Amino acid sequence: MTAPQGRGRPADDPEEQDPGLARERTSLAWTRTAISFAALGGAVLKANVISGLLVLAVAPVVWQLGRVSRSRAARTDLPTVGATRLFVIALTIVAVSLLCFLVAIFGRSAPLGLR
Amino acid sequence: MSWSRRLTTLLPRAVERDNSGTEPDPRFTFANERTFLAWSRTALALVIAGLGIVQLLPPFPRVPAGRHLLGLPLIALGAVLAAAAYVEWVRSQRALRRGDPLPHSVLPWILAATITGIAIIAGVVLLVSALR
Repeated sequence: MTAPQGRGRPADDPEEQDPGLARERTSLAWTRTAISFAALGGAVLKANVISGLLVLAVAPVVWQLGRVSRSRAARTDLPTVGATRLFVIALTIVAVSLLCFLVAIFGRSAPLGLR
Repeated sequence: MSWSRRLTTLLPRAVERDNSGTEPDPRFTFANERTFLAWSRTALALVIAGLGIVQLLPPFPRVPAGRHLLGLPLIALGAVLAAAAYVEWVRSQRALRRGDPLPHSVLPWILAATITGIAIIAGVVLLVSALR
């Protein structure tokens, strides 16, 4: 770890040279999660427009949460900074699943047992 | 510890107040967060798959409830996986702070059981719709 890193011998783990990469990857993971919400919103949109718009509206909120995490993590060294954000994400997915459950049962294109 | 006590230790306020151990390497904290996010996306993918099966698939001949038999469990397990991912994140973060070995994860087990169960249901639905 403390050994000098010569030009010809890069560190085994690039993060040992730049811990900021971990932050970058986490930021990208947040973006991917936001896109996943948007994808789900698009799928719901086909079945129920209002529910679809509701789920689509979550995507920019998630994206914003990821940005908040970056700036806050840079300012504080609180260990579990973001427990609330992750809790909100988990809770949102549970709520969205419930919504999708109802949409799947009562949705326009799939009346149970009729088609 | 009772169930309700155990549940309150999972609430974000309790997690953020937990001062046990020492601050782990920030890279570990970031990695733990990414793992949670990856499981969240997996949960969302299960919900998308379940919804897609119910809404987009043509109905199975002679098995009118077939699409719901496949899709609704997928959606429900998406919710379970999201909640389990949060619990897992709290436990891992606590272990990182205290220098304990990382706790045994049940999430891969949940996912494998889900996929196996759905595959079995799909096989049965297909057989019934083909044979009857």
